Amino acid sequence: MPAAARDADGRDHEAARADQTGTLPNDGPALRAGTDVGVAELQTIADRIRERFDEVDTTTARGELTVFVPAERIRDVVRFCKEDEELACELLSDVSGVHWPGGEHVVEPQLSTTGWPPNRLTRDRGTIEVTYHLLSMSNNHRLRLVVAVNDDPQALPTVPSVTSVYPTADFHEREVYDFFGVHFDGHPNLVRILMPEEWDGYPQRKDYPLGGVDTDYHGAFIPPPDERVWSRDVPGAGGGKVGP
Amino acid sequence: MSVDERTGAAGYGGSDDEIWVSGADWEVLEDAVTEGRLTVNVGPQHPSTHGVLRLVVELEGETVMSVEPVIGYLHTGIEKNTEYRTWTQGTTFVTRMDYLSPFFNEVAYCLAVEKLLGIDAPPRAQAVRVIMMELNRIASHLVWLATGGFELGAISMMIYGFRERENILDVFEAQTGLRMNHGYVRPGGLAADVTADFAQQCRDVISYLPERLAEYEDLLEQNPIFIHRTQDVGVLEADDAIRYGVTGPLLRAAGADWDLRKAQPYCGYEQYDFDVATETGADTYARFLVRMQEMRESMRIIDQAVDALPDGPVMVEDKKIAWPAQLGLGPDGIGNDPTYIRHIMGESMEALIHHFKLVTEGFAVPPGQVYVPVESPRGELGYHVVSNGTTKPYRVHVRDPSFVNLQSIDHMSRGHMVADLIAIIATLDPVMGGVDR
Repeated sequence: MPAAARDADGRDHEAARADQTGTLPNDGPALRAGTDVGVAELQTIADRIRERFDEVDTTTARGELTVFVPAERIRDVVRFCKEDEELACELLSDVSGVHWPGGEHVVEPQLSTTGWPPNRLTRDRGTIEVTYHLLSMSNNHRLRLVVAVNDDPQALPTVPSVTSVYPTADFHEREVYDFFGVHFDGHPNLVRILMPEEWDGYPQRKDYPLGGVDTDYHGAFIPPPDERVWSRDVPGAGGGKVGP
Repeated sequence: MSVDERTGAAGYGGSDDEIWVSGADWEVLEDAVTEGRLTVNVGPQHPSTHGVLRLVVELEGETVMSVEPVIGYLHTGIEKNTEYRTWTQGTTFVTRMDYLSPFFNEVAYCLAVEKLLGIDAPPRAQAVRVIMMELNRIASHLVWLATGGFELGAISMMIYGFRERENILDVFEAQTGLRMNHGYVRPGGLAADVTADFAQQCRDVISYLPERLAEYEDLLEQNPIFIHRTQDVGVLEADDAIRYGVTGPLLRAAGADWDLRKAQPYCGYEQYDFDVATETGADTYARFLVRMQEMRESMRIIDQAVDALPDGPVMVEDKKIAWPAQLGLGPDGIGNDPTYIRHIMGESMEALIHHFKLVTEGFAVPPGQVYVPVESPRGELGYHVVSNGTTKPYRVHVRDPSFVNLQSIDHMSRGHMVADLIAIIATLDPVMGGVDR
């Protein structure tokens, strides 16, 4: 494992990797649904990518290979994955985003139910991980590329578009832009795809509330599930929220 | 990259043809009406667009010059909603995405959760999942046959297709209580065991269907109108299909032998003997043949799976994960089994605690991320599920095949007539619930 890649933007792959492997043992079988590639073979693929690009970082968990790529290299890495004979990823299956806000997060996996200890994660800065899933039909393997960008919408997080390599990325990248506010440099038509064009905000971000529903019944409002109060708010009855 | 000065749309020139995918909205296109060209808006409310798909079509006379899909009218925020519910509740959301193939959504989601947990559903649950998925594939293809035939003018197909599908939905209703949006597959197994006559119900369906399918095939295959309306319409060669990310029957009709059930088996598909249906025509007619063949192959799988249905539990043994409800017929209809209620209320404190904790909070899932694809009736349905170690999904993203396949509509329609556009929408078989999610 080379040292964690940090680019000029200070983007941190270390934090991302903490979520990859977690602090818990993963003792599940290495080969499960959705993958039939041996771990050894994944290692070969990982080595091949690392050989070609020394700024990438790889990790293998649950029989899936994840490659962390600095944003400015993503187009080169994707092109390499497509054109290289051993990798031969003809199909870009999916592009999605995951928002990891900055600050300290305490993950409470419910000691009483699972027996797992709480898990503290500190992130110096929030990131949005743009995740690409590549599939090689000829060699029958998959791999995942992860690009982490700053999550501050004011900073215009930008990733080079891969539509010139995989035309199918068009809709996918529009979707990530629509929901996370990540801009794809070189995309032919970066407009919202599922939300209306005049929509304000990026709904899949963690700081964007789910929102409740107005009803016609006496002007009642149904709050979103994370804000619902399940018991009647009687003073002294400790009417609180259920759940975290 | 080249930009079309008229419409502002942009694309990449390929080696021998050009790739044009993206659309612009109406305001941009309004200025694009030039001499002899007409921009027509189809949808979002139009009987032939399979839901709320909107197409902005540019015509020259009756020839389609470009098609731009505008989507999002059925966006329901399901991916966001799952982040506020427990892992088990997630199944009730994802099953509503691609509402013609709910079992595929449920199974793919549950396989992803199980992969994160590092568990495997018991063999009986896996086999029932396979049977349900294949029944669902037939049901989904029957809807395609009904609507697709209907849109080409074979009105009787509409009635026949939906009639046969109803029999399959009856099996679903008998087993899950619902005709669609079942919520039957759960992380760790199934919500309830199948009934004693499940095997017989499946055999009934696959005993009369082949005969009926052959009849419908005769109706269409030998029909000169159907042949003229489908042959050489909407050609999408395999290399173009892969560039657009198109998978499933459309890719197989172009000669590519790619089926995830064979290539990357899940749920024990490697135990069953079936063939991957391929054709070389790459047109709408070839896709018709592929889908008809797929229904027959699904019946073969169901036949084998029903015969070899293993005994045993349908939920993992782990009480920390297994959904505790034991469904039964109570005095007030469907609900928890009275024996089970007596057990948790009067006999076992531990069972009560497990029930309470799992139903109110759910189980925690180890941190990590997985991508689990399955072969849905429309192509690769992939779930990218991320956990941060809590009892709720951190992120669920769905790679819905309808969403991706829709990008090829422009490529397939250029140069065809408007009437062919309808056939091309039908052959894509998009489900807007899946496209917009």
